[in-house]
Amino acid sequence: MSSDSLIEIKNLSVEFQTDDGQVKAVKNISFSIPRGKTMGLVGESGSGKSVSSLAIMRLIPNPPGKITSGEILFDGQDLLKLSEPQMRKIRGNRISMIFQEPMTSLNPVFTIGDQICETLMLHRGMDKKAALAKVVELLDQVGIPNPAQRVNSYPHEMSGGQRQRVMIAMAIACEPDLLIADEPTTALDVTIQKQILELLAKLQKEYNMSVLFITHDLGVIADIADQVVVMYRGDIVEQGRTLDIFQQPQHPYTKGLLACRPSLDKNPLRLPTVSDFMTEEGKEKNFDVESIKQVKASRPVQEEKNPVLLEVFELEKHFPTKKGIFGNVQEWLKAVDNVSFKVRKGRTLGLVGESGCGKTTLGRSLLRLIEPTAGQVLYNGTDVTSLDRKAMRQMRRKMQIIFQDPYASLNPRMTVGSAIMEPMIIHGIGESKDERMEKAGELMDKVGLSRIMLNRYPHEFSGGQRQRICIARALAVSPEFIVCDESVSALDVSIQAQILNLLLDLQEELDLTYIFISHDLAVVKFISDEVAVMYGGKILEMNDALGIYENPQHDYTKKLLSAIPKGL
Amino acid sequence: MSQSQKPPARRNSLWWDALRHLRRQPLAMVSLGVILFYVGLALLCSAGVIFTDYALVDHNRPYQEPSWENWLGTDIFGRDVLARAAHGSITSLSVGFVGTGLALVIGTLLGALAGYFGGRTDDLVVWFYTTVDTIPYILLVVSLAFIMGPSLQTLYLAIGLTFWVSHCRIVRAEFLKHRERDYVQGALAVGASHWRRIFIHILPNIFHLILINFSLVFVTAVKSEVILSFLGLGVEPGVPSWGMMINDARLELPRGVWWGLAAATGFMFFLILAFNLFNDALREALDPKRSRV
Amino acid sequence: MFKYVVRRLLYTIPILFGVTLLTFLLFHIAGGDPAAQAAGKHASAEEIALLKAQLGLDRPLHQQYFFYLQQIATFDFGRSWATKQNISSMFKAGLGPTLSLTLPAFFLAVLITISLALILAHLRGSWVDRLSLVLCLAMMSISFLVYILAGQYFLAYQFSLFPISGWDPDPILRWTYLALPILIAVVVSIGPDTLFFRTVFLDEISQDYVRTARAKGLAEGRILFKHVLRNALIPIITIVVIRMPFLVMGSLLLEAFFGIPGLGGIMFQAIQNSDFPVIKAMTFIGALLYMFFQLFSDILYAAVDPKIQLR
Repeated sequence: MSSDSLIEIKNLSVEFQTDDGQVKAVKNISFSIPRGKTMGLVGESGSGKSVSSLAIMRLIPNPPGKITSGEILFDGQDLLKLSEPQMRKIRGNRISMIFQEPMTSLNPVFTIGDQICETLMLHRGMDKKAALAKVVELLDQVGIPNPAQRVNSYPHEMSGGQRQRVMIAMAIACEPDLLIADEPTTALDVTIQKQILELLAKLQKEYNMSVLFITHDLGVIADIADQVVVMYRGDIVEQGRTLDIFQQPQHPYTKGLLACRPSLDKNPLRLPTVSDFMTEEGKEKNFDVESIKQVKASRPVQEEKNPVLLEVFELEKHFPTKKGIFGNVQEWLKAVDNVSFKVRKGRTLGLVGESGCGKTTLGRSLLRLIEPTAGQVLYNGTDVTSLDRKAMRQMRRKMQIIFQDPYASLNPRMTVGSAIMEPMIIHGIGESKDERMEKAGELMDKVGLSRIMLNRYPHEFSGGQRQRICIARALAVSPEFIVCDESVSALDVSIQAQILNLLLDLQEELDLTYIFISHDLAVVKFISDEVAVMYGGKILEMNDALGIYENPQHDYTKKLLSAIPKGL
Repeated sequence: MSQSQKPPARRNSLWWDALRHLRRQPLAMVSLGVILFYVGLALLCSAGVIFTDYALVDHNRPYQEPSWENWLGTDIFGRDVLARAAHGSITSLSVGFVGTGLALVIGTLLGALAGYFGGRTDDLVVWFYTTVDTIPYILLVVSLAFIMGPSLQTLYLAIGLTFWVSHCRIVRAEFLKHRERDYVQGALAVGASHWRRIFIHILPNIFHLILINFSLVFVTAVKSEVILSFLGLGVEPGVPSWGMMINDARLELPRGVWWGLAAATGFMFFLILAFNLFNDALREALDPKRSRV
Repeated sequence: MFKYVVRRLLYTIPILFGVTLLTFLLFHIAGGDPAAQAAGKHASAEEIALLKAQLGLDRPLHQQYFFYLQQIATFDFGRSWATKQNISSMFKAGLGPTLSLTLPAFFLAVLITISLALILAHLRGSWVDRLSLVLCLAMMSISFLVYILAGQYFLAYQFSLFPISGWDPDPILRWTYLALPILIAVVVSIGPDTLFFRTVFLDEISQDYVRTARAKGLAEGRILFKHVLRNALIPIITIVVIRMPFLVMGSLLLEAFFGIPGLGGIMFQAIQNSDFPVIKAMTFIGALLYMFFQLFSDILYAAVDPKIQLR
């Protein structure tokens, strides 16, 4: 083995036992991580990237998982041949790991000081006092303010970003040779993500560690990794220096992955998708790269074609946050605070903001899925907030919503056909069942699915397909206006591009009006005509899409924009 | 596309998925077989096809030991113990099914209304079930039994009116959770009525819990019959029931008569064990977290 | 924390009201004609009417309800119909014997079943675990009454390991009589409790923080005993504390069979004799205890779950 590699993975295979038999999660992969460098492991869901990292730690739950073959040479020693007690001496000591969910990865009933101490006492044989002193030092190093007091905090008393810092402090406590970071910033807001990435880069240099950084986000990889391994369905399709991979991707999957990501500095008409570059079987397709260079012209407002469809006037939504002894509300959270804006017909308003900014509450209040506290929502001049139940039901034919999580937004006990036909039944569309079935079939065609799938259940579809079904269902009542609430956030980038293209096509074909809610500025930029930035329940700034990005006015917008990983 | 394509019916719902999983568990299938055996036994007994001599009194042959003639011996009146134990399954199964059914209907309805509508409705239902839950169940049953006098109907009501509480609590919590889920919000967004959201959307999605609770409450109901019989609040004297037989053993055991107790205990044991084992497998098969593609 | 407790206390008021109302109505309907029963079978119509007036049963319903509330507030439940004793003093006499049966049974059972469950959780998926699971389910498939009958018959009557039944007021000597009922109570609880605790532990083991603990290099045993057990305490407290009213109410069946003069035994007699005042008082006290322990468990949560102190 070459001496500059810290860890070398050879022919690793992992299988999982499922109801449908053995599933190969990782297929015979080999790669090595150089000393003192950051290796990026990138792939979409189901690519086997997390399983590979858990295999290094030998933490794959068994059953159902099993490492079926391979070697993991760590400093020349095969980890797979170690006994469990020997392996425990390595975990948390020479190889440590941080995880995606900072909210649940810490034990809720122990203070963070206790939890970090545990590692030090275990591997370094320190006594409690010495360990605590070291913990304070570590917390300071990972940027927790007031570390001496914070050691006594419980996880629930800290924010998500802080908890991830605590996880990092725990991981570096024993100065490991290798730090495995499994999607450490995916659950965090972009501004927090930037801080964590900077922290990791700083610590990597200070400790001269190797880092295995696992992510689905190519932008993040470009910022942090020296080398990249690209995984696809359990295989490594490409590996090399980060710069090479980004500038001259060889494998069609990598090419597709890089191209389909909306980015801030490009302004294409449509997004290319992985399937433009690669067939289902993984063969390269001839794709005219020039076609993606077409630039979207900004669409000027035409008064007669784009009249104001929706006008929101001083909308408010308050939630009680603190109740007194008698259940009387003492404090309110203003989730939506005095928001006013207009949306014109046939256009898209992007609503962007970080978690907790009130964008989802706003979207739902417009449709009265949540009753607004005050204010007006004028739809074609009618105040939606004052409609009675019957009139509101009629109004729902015109206004629809597509949710974030396609796994949660379809009733799992209802066939896709019934789900699409349900709105028709409610609103008396179609004379007979056959007619409705026919229309459901047409909708399936329209969203790019086969009508033969109508009698299947949601669990038989992939995430992207389910999102298409949700769109078909929303279209079943022929609406004019659709709220897309983080509708592509839960999807892999390659699927995200397809859905975004579909939404654009449908807008053009059906003259739809969208409010597109997202935390992802690049996605919002790609799809929107106008963009509003939300923070703390208020709209801070609103402008046309190019204007917001090229000439941000508000400090928060600037901060948000600068936090986005640049890619290359 | 003029003709409306009717795709062939496919057994691909989550229910079929659970059933397929269940069918691969031998223990679950054996348990189901045992339960069906008891149901068949009770039906045949009540139809008068088998063990017709269960009430045949023969004062000349009290407390006969098990023999070829009376496989499980006779009781104090010379009646065949095996026949009486077999007929006891009618009492137990009907108490189990009717009492449990009643409890689940009450619990599901109240829980659904409370969890779905929230607010004042919820306060009222929670107040009501907390109150009922606070009163020791045995005393609640006792007072109900006093009102109605001992009979099979009393048992149904006593079990139905007390055992709904824990189920109601679960259903309420599930409705609270599900009403915020996107698929229910989506139904609201397309204009679905309350009725539709409760019964077409949420209820089928928590039905697996109702099913699991059914076998839990069923087991408790069958066991309660024994205790209530001991307190003199069970079925009328003369009606064959396992509870009565177990109670009679208090006087029989000191005389060395063990077969009455053994018969009733054995019959009850296999029924309840089958329900317990089946429930365990059912829980796993219906677990939404069980890995699916 | 203080506010949390006060809110919790205030919440018991409507429940208390509900309990009094429900018990009053139930026994009003169930009681048939209490005056007729109290006066005896051979009483004349005049005598019954007189007694009714004495007991206040001829007054309108809401006045009777207020009378009942008064009884409750003063803990004066009147006299038993069967024994003519003062109910409050009957309860006082029964409390000691009941606690000496149920307290040891309760703590032994909790200790044993939690240990068993921890062992099973550690061995999860192995044949020992699977076999124990079936064994627990089998133990749950036998009636409580059968355990008592069989235990009394075999262990006490056949093998004479224990006295069959009886009681000694002496606090030391009574243990010979208590040993068998305690043993039976513990055995009966092994099936359901072990299974319950095992499920609680397994739920915790699948949490993310356990994965973190493993990634630190902790051994399975330490993870189970430190991290998992501490978290599992929260659901365990619920089930354990809710069972506590049983400590005071006594096990009706055990006391009836083993002749222990505790509250359970008193209740058993009252049910046999349709002794309404006793049943009614018992019902109310049982409910009160339940409420008290519910409150107690909610306060205990605050000690175990760091999140609650914030509320």
